[in-house]
Amino acid sequence: MRRIVALFFVIAVGIGAALTLEAQSGAAPYEIVAGLGLPAVDRGVLTGVYHQPTHAASMARSAAAGIRAEQTRLGRAGTPYTRGKLIVKFRSGSDASNAIATSAPGATVMPRSTYANFDVLSIDPNADAEAIADALNARPDVEYAQASYVAHALFVPNDALYKAYQWNLPLINMEGAWDIQRDAGSTITVAVVDTGVAYTSATLRGVNIATFIGDNGSRYPAIPNATIPLAAAPQLVGGTAISRIVAPHDFVNDNNTPYDLDGHGTHVSGTIGQLTNDGIGTAGVAFNVKLMPLKADCEQWDILFGTPLSRCGEDRIALAIRYAADNGAKVINMSLGRTGPAACAQNPSGVGCARVVEDAMRYAVSKGVFIAVAAGNEFEDGNPTSAYAEIASRIPGVVSVAAVDITKAHARYSTAGPYVELAAPGGGGGSAESGFVWQQTYSLDFSQTFDLPVARYPAPRFDVLEYVGYAGTSMASPHVAGVAAMLMQQGITDPAVVEAALERFAIDLGDKGRDNFFGFGMVDARATLYGLGLTR
Amino acid sequence: MKSRAAALLLTLAGLAWAAPAAAQAQAGYSLRVFGLFNEEQFLAKDTFKAIFGQATQMLWGGGISVVQDEQYYLDLSVSRFRKTGQRAFFGNGQAFPLGIPLTATLTPFEMTGGYRFHTRPKRPTRLSARLPPPSRLVPYFGAGVGLYRYQETSAFAQAGDDVTKQHIGFIVEGGLEVRLAKWIGIAAGANYTHVPGILGTGGVSQDAGEGDLGGISGRFRLLIGK
Repeated sequence: MRRIVALFFVIAVGIGAALTLEAQSGAAPYEIVAGLGLPAVDRGVLTGVYHQPTHAASMARSAAAGIRAEQTRLGRAGTPYTRGKLIVKFRSGSDASNAIATSAPGATVMPRSTYANFDVLSIDPNADAEAIADALNARPDVEYAQASYVAHALFVPNDALYKAYQWNLPLINMEGAWDIQRDAGSTITVAVVDTGVAYTSATLRGVNIATFIGDNGSRYPAIPNATIPLAAAPQLVGGTAISRIVAPHDFVNDNNTPYDLDGHGTHVSGTIGQLTNDGIGTAGVAFNVKLMPLKADCEQWDILFGTPLSRCGEDRIALAIRYAADNGAKVINMSLGRTGPAACAQNPSGVGCARVVEDAMRYAVSKGVFIAVAAGNEFEDGNPTSAYAEIASRIPGVVSVAAVDITKAHARYSTAGPYVELAAPGGGGGSAESGFVWQQTYSLDFSQTFDLPVARYPAPRFDVLEYVGYAGTSMASPHVAGVAAMLMQQGITDPAVVEAALERFAIDLGDKGRDNFFGFGMVDARATLYGLGLTR
Repeated sequence: MKSRAAALLLTLAGLAWAAPAAAQAQAGYSLRVFGLFNEEQFLAKDTFKAIFGQATQMLWGGGISVVQDEQYYLDLSVSRFRKTGQRAFFGNGQAFPLGIPLTATLTPFEMTGGYRFHTRPKRPTRLSARLPPPSRLVPYFGAGVGLYRYQETSAFAQAGDDVTKQHIGFIVEGGLEVRLAKWIGIAAGANYTHVPGILGTGGVSQDAGEGDLGGISGRFRLLIGK
């Protein structure tokens, strides 16, 4: 409570001070004071149930991969071991030199570490260490002997909620993928065409919130001249990570401050690139990517804050896609969509088709941009065709993404059809925590106040964040966008080839081959980045 | 598998070595050692191009050659190809390397036998005439079997990712041997090898539809011995 009082005090002082500041308003129906606001309030996990995961150590790679390949030899069981050394424990009182002379001629005992109870022998790098170990193990004066097998640690993020909540990332073999690419997409920019992103602090002044009838049928009163605080999500842009934000733009209000007034875009951005391995919160797929927040979707508060509907719609989405392509994005995530006719493939300009979006997508792909599109959440509502996903299936380099639950089963809501190309974790919904994809975004209690009873209805706040579970193909799509960014980091720049790789290495689910529920299968991050050898 | 291959090699060696008794009576055997360099165009062209950037690779090694009566020969050789390329995949019909080092090692143990078209000088009719020198050029043609051992290791490999395989393969060869001096010669020839059972069941080779680890090679040998 004291913190909230302090918050309002600072806001009041700030408003006064801001009279001398240059306010940016653009086309928004309120005044924006960019950068004015307190840091976010972090409420932790929404459920209040906190499971401390086992803290997992992460290991850095010790040597360049090529050198490692040269300095190891493959053992009989397929496990590589280090050339030129052998681990052996001689029985106490035995004569090591005798055993070495007989069973490991030419070997020498290396200096023993003070905390070792075994010896390491230096042997010929070309010698078969396992064969020598066999000879030594046959001797009564040797307790054991073995090759020095190469331990291979998987990168397991130490983010506090990772193990307890983020089933979705191991499900697509992210740990193996991070082990291959610890940079996790650091040179790639991913544009998030969505509701905006909580990427910076701000205060909206003079917001006249319109009256409306809520889902419960009650009329909610207008709130005139409200002051709305916004804060950056610390797990997206905390510390120095603000520098990862590239060319943000708001196509709804036509300015460069695409504030998220919903939380959806912030959540989606978290799955793509949440700060990872910092011991806090959750992890993201390509956690070092640069993010380009592009607001192209109007949600409830945008409308209630006075944004005319004329500023919302498909043209904004098309503009955002084109903008991303022209401003350096290599991947676009579109966790948004609408239903449409099934026959747009035959007549893309037909009634209900999204020709403007299709043209924008084709333009972006022609500029080398890969696009991941949510397949839609209407399976239980008659399973209509999802317009953008259908377009995706016709453009190599644009992929429609369905959702699976924690068991890799089709998520009950995930729209199915011949246009589904890939699947990724979206959560099965329901009442269990494992039914959702978890990321940091606005606290529902403070941001979705239109869900409260009229008597308790306040203006929303967008400076209180927590870890919230969302389910939907909106959550599935950013997994694919993140993996695509990592693949591009490895030098695959053609969007059509990125799509081909994602589909080639997907884990086939459902009917064998491509099917309408999973497409080519669930994305497999490690397999995609690892590729193929000559024989495996 | 290993013991079967070894037994097969031994049997073939024995058969090749066993000359008829009549021949043995007048046989002259010579033993040579040689070093070899093989420039091999692998039949799995797309596979090798995808991983190493080119399908032609160098093998080097050595062996021994036993020649009976200057006409029949049996060669035993071991050679090796080892190279680090990149893991890759095929997309839209084209190979794309992924920057992950992969080291492939191919070690052929080969045994070939065949006939040398050695022309014996005819004894002159006049006693005073000098014996003409033997031909310095000896064409040869042969065939054989080999045991091909293949290893593949990659950076970031997890259990079961790396591969060790071996399989029997077959060889047909021909060429020309040139005697430079009494104890030194060189041979240049062409080899065709067919090595099934290693490629084609996974990896890039499966995607490329290539199942033969053999190839056509130019083989150069430096021979020491008569």
